[in-house]
Amino acid sequence: MKIAVVGCGGMGHVHALEFAKMPNVELVGVCDIVPELAESLAQQTGTSAFTSFDAMMSSVEADIVSVAVPSYLHKELVIQAAAAGKHVICEKPIALNVEDAEEMVRVCEANGVQLFVGHVVRFFPEYAQIKHQIDAGQIGKVGVANAKRVGAHPGNVKSWYKEADKSGGVIVDLMVHDIDFMRWALGEVKSVYGMNKYDDDMDYALVTLVFESGAVANLEAFWGYPGSFHYTAEFAGTAGLVQSDSLKTQSLQIRNSEAEADGGNFVEIPQSPGYRNPYTVELEHFIGCIRDGIEPIVTARDACRALTIAAAAQESIRTGKAVLL
Amino acid sequence: MKGLKVGMISFAHGHAYSYFHSLRQIPEVQIVGIADEVRSRVDSIVGEYGVPYFADYRELLAQDVDAVVICSENAHHAQMAIDAANAKKHVLCEKPLGTTLEEMERMIAACKDNGVQLMTAFPCRYLAAVVRAKEAVERGDIGDIVAIKGTNHGGNPGSWFIDKQLSGGGAAMDHTVHVMDLMNWLLQSKVTEVYAYAATLFQEDLGVDDAGMVHIKFENGVFAALDTSWSRPKSFPTWGDVTMEIVGTKGVISVDGFAQHNDLYSDEAGKGLWTYWGDDMDAYMVKDFVRALLQGEPVPVTGEDGLRSTQVALAAYESVKLGQPVAL
Repeated sequence: MKIAVVGCGGMGHVHALEFAKMPNVELVGVCDIVPELAESLAQQTGTSAFTSFDAMMSSVEADIVSVAVPSYLHKELVIQAAAAGKHVICEKPIALNVEDAEEMVRVCEANGVQLFVGHVVRFFPEYAQIKHQIDAGQIGKVGVANAKRVGAHPGNVKSWYKEADKSGGVIVDLMVHDIDFMRWALGEVKSVYGMNKYDDDMDYALVTLVFESGAVANLEAFWGYPGSFHYTAEFAGTAGLVQSDSLKTQSLQIRNSEAEADGGNFVEIPQSPGYRNPYTVELEHFIGCIRDGIEPIVTARDACRALTIAAAAQESIRTGKAVLL
Repeated sequence: MKGLKVGMISFAHGHAYSYFHSLRQIPEVQIVGIADEVRSRVDSIVGEYGVPYFADYRELLAQDVDAVVICSENAHHAQMAIDAANAKKHVLCEKPLGTTLEEMERMIAACKDNGVQLMTAFPCRYLAAVVRAKEAVERGDIGDIVAIKGTNHGGNPGSWFIDKQLSGGGAAMDHTVHVMDLMNWLLQSKVTEVYAYAATLFQEDLGVDDAGMVHIKFENGVFAALDTSWSRPKSFPTWGDVTMEIVGTKGVISVDGFAQHNDLYSDEAGKGLWTYWGDDMDAYMVKDFVRALLQGEPVPVTGEDGLRSTQVALAAYESVKLGQPVAL
């Protein structure tokens, strides 16, 4: 299986490094419009660097293209890759609006290639376990769920995150993880209500989903949180309750007594290490699906539905009304 | 007024036991009687502490009493509080203050007309973490408040709480008002809009809602969501929670009101338990009620405060019917 990665930023690094480690997978090239980024990643992974997608596609043979460019460029690159007959792995969110997402799905179908979208939360062991516990009836029928995902504003490091027409904002980019997971765990959504505070320093949203089953979930997402990135999930059912909190599952704390240059007198690095990170599991799964022709755990249709719900939340924020799907 | 003679009306709400023991700790307080039509609810207390018992609360009101504490079923708050006011007794009333706006307005008017004070029992204002959070907000530690995500989870309390005639509603009635009062207190801004979802999701044929998600918009632009659900299963290590994530323009305050606990694993209980060791909020609330009356000062939490937060619960039920937000 030959794979080319487009986009050598944060997620491009994750993808390329994972592919480079996999047996039976050959990373044939990486590309980025910033030559240094492409060069550096190519060096780390022992592959070739390109500065344009066209140049890469005309130089290398690839079965799969992995799209890890900023969200507003997903559509254009997925469609180009599909038109070239390549299977596509695309980072989430699939696109910034539902029409674009559906067009991407249609083009992939028309070209007979598969499209996978990186809703990686489904591959996080704590979330996979919750899904399993719900399906196994361990907490009965779910009534109320809460989820939270908060961290620093990514726009302080990469400015495109602060442009709503490029990143989609905190709901489309970050909360979409929990939207997808909730839909996976609880089924289809029938109504959406959202509230949001958005300015240059923060993007904070509270969104409530009511499901066909009658269950309700409130999701909290925050860019600009003054603390370390963390996430929680809780599902309460007729026969039990399951909770997960990333701050409470840090199995390793490394503390160093040497003072930092900035005046601190210790350094603390909490971690939750695992032998296989969720991206490894996700990307291996996608490649396995292509190889064996099986349905993925998360389909492109799922990604479209998650985006539809995120768009409904934005509509609710605009109108102040609950939006029925 | 040198000491304070206090009577207790009804132990239907379990908080009465805690308020009774809180009152007993205050040297200036004399508990002059307990009225409860169901004698079995107060038998042990009446017997152990030798407190005079009255089957009819009106007999208690005829005694030499300065103030009463009402912990009846919600639907009976109004009549009892109004009778107490007419008998010139100050009132500390369990939350929610009443089950309709009209009821609560009559309670407030009756107390005003009779020159007695009406306090709503919102003990969460006396959680040390809440008090410190309020101070931090006032100091400007987190800039201006932008939003609040709150929870007041619990288990299904059963009994009259699940009889709508007596409770006025389920989880959204029972669990909107505490955190709503805290939000009103922190924000000092009027609620303009309420959107809510409430349903019976944890126990079939319950007759009242046991799951609720209440959304509030305030005049000053702040928005909030509050999970009011009776979602804690029997196996859960504690009764529930009161939490607030207060998001500001310059920071975040996280309040977890009952986080001060040990984890107890006892074979006798058959499950792990969170054993709370923080300050007793009920005791501090009751003490403040007594202090205000003895010093002739306004009570710290008023009937209007009780009305304001209950109004949101009532609006929540309106919103559930409509499936859309309602303006207040």
